[in-house]
This record gives sequence, structure tokens and C-alpha cells, in this order.
Amino acid sequence: MAEAPSNLRVYLVRLAVIFAGLLLFAGSSIAHALGVLPTGLTVAAQYFGVMAIVWGLNGFFFRTVALSWFTLPVFSAAAFGVLFLIGYFVQTVAGPFLIDSTGRFIGLVRLVDLIFYAFAVMTLGGAAGCAFSRNIIYSAWSLLFAFLGVAGLYVFLGADFPAVAQVLIYVGGILVLILFAIMLTKQIGEDPKLTNAHLALPMGAALAAVTVGTLAYMAVMAPWKITPAPSYQPVSAALGTAFLTDFLLPFEVASVVLLAALVGAVIIARKEIKEHLDTVLE
Amino acid sequence: MTSSIELPHFLIVGAALFALGMVTVVTRRNAVGILMGVELILNAANVNFIAFNHFVEGPGKITGQVFSIFVIVLAAAEAAIGLAIVLAIYQTFRTIDVQETNLLRE
Repeated sequence: MAEAPSNLRVYLVRLAVIFAGLLLFAGSSIAHALGVLPTGLTVAAQYFGVMAIVWGLNGFFFRTVALSWFTLPVFSAAAFGVLFLIGYFVQTVAGPFLIDSTGRFIGLVRLVDLIFYAFAVMTLGGAAGCAFSRNIIYSAWSLLFAFLGVAGLYVFLGADFPAVAQVLIYVGGILVLILFAIMLTKQIGEDPKLTNAHLALPMGAALAAVTVGTLAYMAVMAPWKITPAPSYQPVSAALGTAFLTDFLLPFEVASVVLLAALVGAVIIARKEIKEHLDTVLE
Repeated sequence: MTSSIELPHFLIVGAALFALGMVTVVTRRNAVGILMGVELILNAANVNFIAFNHFVEGPGKITGQVFSIFVIVLAAAEAAIGLAIVLAIYQTFRTIDVQETNLLRE
């Protein structure tokens, strides 16, 4: 600009050009969607719209970039290509997750599926970390993710009480107990490679591959008698009723088992008792 | 809210969880690591119990969930006893490497 006109007028011109470009772009897209405009003309019109937007934006944001008659189409082509790729991605990659073949919106269902896969990946990733990590502390922490992922799968299966029990007992109890045992046995900090060493890992991995292959084949091929309408009702009250009616004897036996485990763990883990017994025996 | 996730999906997750737990039990030399593998195996069994309860047993029946609660109870008892034994082994041998703890008493 040799002689700078007033800034206000420049801005207004740029703004008008941006607006016109947006109108051209949107109008040609809508016309193409309605079947009025053929594809070649649509692409050309969209390209000119993008070019107008680029030229207009250049006045606002890219003041240092001097756009000539040559660089303006090139930049516009680049911007148009990026927009085209984004549109293509939305239409062909993300679209099937949102619209099914008959055009209904099924985003929620696909979202539920994605959440299931997220929980499955979390569970199996945590389990794999527990199985293959070389440091026992890392194994324990990845066990946390495995337990939380399994709790998410329980929620997915409409089992609310087992999910909460999983979080409370496994994450809040057993995992803390495992971490205590790791700390008390002083295995960390010595040599991380030796704290959680493997024995014949390739053979173990082969065994696991055979097992999961066989079980997955059975799971897919077996003719399960699937119930038509699985329910997502809350189950806590029904579980309490079942424990006190149909499963009363196992319930009482479980309480005895827990008491025996409590007493047994205290007796086994206490050091003084053993020394006391030694002195008595002598 | 319907989903395209069916029973085999959960069974495959359970199978993979079981296999990873079995690898942990078979290949670990650390006794605490072996106990972690046992927990993974019990979790795999629980996933199968609740999946069958949801997809096969039908609405209104919760036997699978009752069994999963019993499994969780026994897992808690097993963890307490197992870790107590691990601590006792450590006090005796000063290591919990299962390759080196080959005596029943000092």
C-alpha cells in the first residue's frame, strides 16, 4: 500500500470480503447438497470462497505476509486442501460412528461401544503391565488400572453393587495390602530388574496365547442362549434378599471364612509368636 | 439404550484377563507378583460370572452377581492369608523369590 488509506475503510473492505467468501462457500455447499450445482463448479466456487477468506484474513492477522497474485492462490489452495481433508475425515471416518446406513442418528450407541472398548483396553493394559513390568511397584500400580477397568465393565453389565464392591475391596483393600507387602519385604530400590524377574517368559506368553485363542474361539462360536432383553435395574436390594434367603448358608460360611482368615493372617504374620514358641520348645 | 456389545466381547476380555493372570502366576519369581496374578484370574472369573448373569440368566435373576460377591470375599481372604505367608517367608529366608524358598522350616 503506497498511500495508506484510513484503517477503518481497509478493515471494512477486508471484513466484507471475508463475509462474501463465507457466503460463497456456504452457498455453493448448500447448492451442491441440494443437487443444483455440479461438483466441478462447486469445488471452484468453494475455492474462490476460500481465496476470498484468506485474502480478507490476511488484512487482519497476517499483515506481514505479502500476498501477491501468485502466493494468494497457493495459500488458498493449501487452506482448501486442509478444509477438504477435514471434511473428508468427518464424513467417512467419524460419520459412520454417528449415522447408520438408514440415516438415523446412532451416536449414543456408538459412544457406548467406544466406552466399552475404553474400559476393555484399560483392563487389559493394566493386566499386561502387571504381567510384564520389570518393577514390582509398576506391576502393583498397573493392577490398579486393571481393577478400575473391571469395575467399569461391571457397570456396563448393569451390576452396580459388584462394581462398587470391586472399587472398595480390590482397590481400597487388596491393592493397599499388596503395596504394604511390597514395602515390608524391602524389594524395591535394590535392583529394579531383579524385583520382579521372569522365569521362562516366552513359554508363558505362548501358553497365554494358546489359552486366549481357545477361549475366544469358544466364546464366539458357542451357541449361547442369549436372553432377549437384558435389564439395567439396580440390584442391591435383590442381592440383600438373596443373601438372606436363598444363599443364607454360604453367607454365614463366608463370614466364618473371613474371621478365620483374619485370625490366621495375624498369627502367621506375627514375629513374636514364633520366637515365643521357640523359647517354649527349648 | 441398546448397544452392539454382546456376550462374546465380555468373554474375550475375561479370557485375555485370565491368560495375563496365568502368565503372571507361571513366570513370576516374586511371591507378591504371583499373588497379583491370582487376583487377575479371580477378576476374570468375576467378569464371566456377571456377563453370563446379564446376558444369559435374564432380568430379575442375580445368581451370577451373588457368586461374584462370594468370589470377591474369598479373594480378600486369600490376599490377607497369602500376604501374611509372604511376610513369614521373608522373615525366615530374607527373600521372597520362590526359586529359593524350598524348605518348609528353617
